[in-house]
Amino acid sequence: MSDSPIRPRSPVDLDVKSGSPTEVELALLQAQTRRHFFRNLGAGLGTVFLGTLASKLVPFANAAGAETAALDFSRDPRTPLSPLPPQFPAKARRVIYLHMAGAPSQLELFEHKPELKRFDGQDCPASLLAGKRFAFISGVPKLLGSQYPFHQTGQSGQWISDRLPHIEKQLDDICFIKSMRTDQFNHAPAQLLVQTGNPRLGYASFGSWLVYGLGTENQNLPGFIVLLSGGKTPDGGKQLWSSGFLPSVYQGVQCRSHGEPVLYLDNPQRVSRALRRSMLDTIDDINQQTYAAFGNPETVTRIAQYEMAFRMQMDATDAMDIRKEPDWVHAQYGSKPGEASFANNCLVARRLAERGVRFIQLYHWGWDSHGADAKEALNIGFNDRCREVDQPTAALLADLSSRGLLEDTLVVWGGEFGRTPMRENRGGQVMKYVGRDHNPGAFTIWLAGGGVRSGITYGETDDMGYEIVKDPVEIRDLHATLLHLLGFDHHKLNFRFQGLEQKLTSVKPARVVAEILA
Amino acid sequence: MTASNRGAVLSTARLGFAMLAPVLVVVMLVAFVPPDGNERADWFQFIGRFHPLLVHFPIAFFLLVPILEVAGRSARFAYLRLSVSFVLALATVGATAAAILGWCLGRSGGYSGRLITQHMWGGVVLCLVCWGCWLLGTRLRSLGLAYAIALALGAGLVAWTGYRGAQLSLGSNHLTEEMPRGLRTLLGVRDNRDASASLPDPTTFYGARIQPIFSARCISCHGAEKHKGDLRLDSYRGLMGGGKDGPVIQIGSIQGSDLFRRITLAAGHDDFMPRGKSPLAADEVKTIELWIGAGASDTLAANAIKNAPSASIAPAEVKFEEIDPAAVAKLRATIAPAVAQLQKQFPNILDYDSRGSADLRLNASILGGKFGDRELEAFDLVSEHIVVADLSRTAITDQSAVAIAAMKRLHVLRLMDTHLTDSTFLRLHTLNELESLNVYGTPVTPAVLPTIAKLPKLSHFYAGQTGIVPGKALPENLVSKVVF
Repeated sequence: MSDSPIRPRSPVDLDVKSGSPTEVELALLQAQTRRHFFRNLGAGLGTVFLGTLASKLVPFANAAGAETAALDFSRDPRTPLSPLPPQFPAKARRVIYLHMAGAPSQLELFEHKPELKRFDGQDCPASLLAGKRFAFISGVPKLLGSQYPFHQTGQSGQWISDRLPHIEKQLDDICFIKSMRTDQFNHAPAQLLVQTGNPRLGYASFGSWLVYGLGTENQNLPGFIVLLSGGKTPDGGKQLWSSGFLPSVYQGVQCRSHGEPVLYLDNPQRVSRALRRSMLDTIDDINQQTYAAFGNPETVTRIAQYEMAFRMQMDATDAMDIRKEPDWVHAQYGSKPGEASFANNCLVARRLAERGVRFIQLYHWGWDSHGADAKEALNIGFNDRCREVDQPTAALLADLSSRGLLEDTLVVWGGEFGRTPMRENRGGQVMKYVGRDHNPGAFTIWLAGGGVRSGITYGETDDMGYEIVKDPVEIRDLHATLLHLLGFDHHKLNFRFQGLEQKLTSVKPARVVAEILA
Repeated sequence: MTASNRGAVLSTARLGFAMLAPVLVVVMLVAFVPPDGNERADWFQFIGRFHPLLVHFPIAFFLLVPILEVAGRSARFAYLRLSVSFVLALATVGATAAAILGWCLGRSGGYSGRLITQHMWGGVVLCLVCWGCWLLGTRLRSLGLAYAIALALGAGLVAWTGYRGAQLSLGSNHLTEEMPRGLRTLLGVRDNRDASASLPDPTTFYGARIQPIFSARCISCHGAEKHKGDLRLDSYRGLMGGGKDGPVIQIGSIQGSDLFRRITLAAGHDDFMPRGKSPLAADEVKTIELWIGAGASDTLAANAIKNAPSASIAPAEVKFEEIDPAAVAKLRATIAPAVAQLQKQFPNILDYDSRGSADLRLNASILGGKFGDRELEAFDLVSEHIVVADLSRTAITDQSAVAIAAMKRLHVLRLMDTHLTDSTFLRLHTLNELESLNVYGTPVTPAVLPTIAKLPKLSHFYAGQTGIVPGKALPENLVSKVVF
């Protein structure tokens, strides 16, 4: 087959009109009289004068105004994902976000609390319960020491439990934030808060913001790709990678972990790529007429999306195909081509990072260790979860590091809140399995790579691992910090919607945690 | 003068003196029993606390008078002038009452110093001026000019005294503290929120560790504006000078130091300090304790006390610079046309490092095999502006060695999974700025190591899946930099 009939159309073919006045506007201009002119001139000159005056006094009018003045993120509507430089020189160019949906227990993994262990099994003192709400704990629960032994390791001498023997080897690359705090208490809103900066539906996710701000270099792949490990979809649902109020082209594209990465990407039987091409050309023509008639930029976006899907037929399949990796890499990750697993997704994540995908979001599932059944017991299901993520996560870090990608890739690992130092006693009963309830007051996440100070721990909780005693970090502070690493002042990466300069960090003041920057 | 007229004058004089007497009492009080900085929990302070409440009435009454006078000049509002005398009398009585309450508060509330003295005398003189206005406005209307001057003087005094009073309660810079930056520069008001008048020497333990605690927690009551208990903690001299009950620090004796006793009491205790606020943090108490124990000197070096809690560093703040588009355009002027041309020719792979920079990043890796030696040649025009070049997985060959070596300002060079051989790497000795070099998966051999080892700024050398292996062959200064 020759190359020419299936080559995508050059974007220059499209007749994009912009800024030309409509007939109504022209008619209105025709109706202007000399008197209109003089009347408007007086008012207009006055406005101009006030405008120049006001611009000198902008900080006076609104000190926050200067902070939120918009950067220019406009692009040719035919290439909405084209890359833009960051606001400031940035260490990190892309993000791999490993979200452990369900909220893993920090007390079984990273938070070494010998005092809590000492009081294991004793009644929780009333002072820890006063004014607190729990999802399931009722009455007076018992304190629960860590179920697993801790030790210090690595050159940085950080503490870690025996559940993550592989990640342990990468500890010197990791920066722990042990004083994360959220104001959300249930999984879905808490996940939304972590991923979109807001616990309610309808806001743009972190990945969408980043692709909006930076675009993506590889136009043959989406800039924001989401991979699930199989099992349960996160409680927050597809809203977690929604573009919210941002143009829809910036939303995350969920790719399947086995089989075709994107459904219906392959041509149906007896449809050749050439036929698909000519079909797309026809659709493009129709869409272009629609655009000429209505001028809605979303139409052009739609054309661009069709074109990307066409290009993705080749590239996405290649990027997702981990069979192309040698055996030793599979041994390193513990990945098995053909199944849906976190290990496979970690390997795919590295392949996507190499190909310039801006934001790669992995969700693992099943970390909600209440102890209500074996699957979510700290001594049973939790072990499986650790095993599922430990080796692939460590392999991802090591692989990124040896390929030099960790330099400019930001890896984030964490859940949506923490877990209580008390044993869950659902309905006031002693439960068959060991578990912990939700604790929004303190949890641990860790970062690695792209401009993060490695081998350190930031923040501290009390001896019970229950409340933060030093350097609390709100979700919005984390977002501001990550955006800073990616080259943005979080005020400036904004989008005007409903009368507000919307930001990932929302409206409360957020602090860049300068202490964890390399 | 008729009898009735004389009676009126007499009654006015009586009334006048009845109003003047309390004013004179206040003058006496302020002159002979001024505030002494001691706090007294008694009736006086209780009553005094109503001063801020009451003081606004005479202010309003007094300021109403010029309005009535001016409005009364028009025939339509002439009747307003009839009220002037009454309103002035109210203002005088109110001002006197407010002054008495003010004295009660100043005397018992632990105030002393220049500010309170000025405020008090301002208030007292205002009482006299009120009285004078009343006299002039009611009975001596013939002295119209004197009356007008007295009114203007009074209005000025109201403003000045009120400002001093607000400084006492809200802080000396309460009006300008939150002034927006634009207006501040317009009016030439200095921003002294952060700058303290005289900072102690930060190389001493006192200056670095002790004074900051006092400044943060104590000087709102024991500072330049208020010095309750006659104690000032805004300087070493003030601290060692002690308060009304004598020294607060006894050198070397923690038990004998009243300051230490008070900051370690239970928060509800009568003597607890800082009164009404949260107790000092454990680290702060410990720091003060160690310093007193070590002799409470103001010359002790900042690092002299070994086991002192680490200084609580104020949370670092990240500042975001403004980007000036004109300056950026100027910076880019020489290369902008070439960059624009290249961006058109090779979409998405070349861009500026940031919005404020003229440095370039080249990422040809996404083009893979479609990018070769010929394509790289096109970037020759801008090669000295490229700081990051990713040519991984491209089809470039050793022919591109010259083009790469010409990118003299490279910080990051990625050549992963290319077919480049030693001959290219041996020519990279020109890259003096290079911090990160990635040769992962290339057919490179240990023969290049001496050249690589000489790169002055190199911190990361990614040499996995190459002929280079961990072991003895590595030059010593590369061992910590090479990543496999």
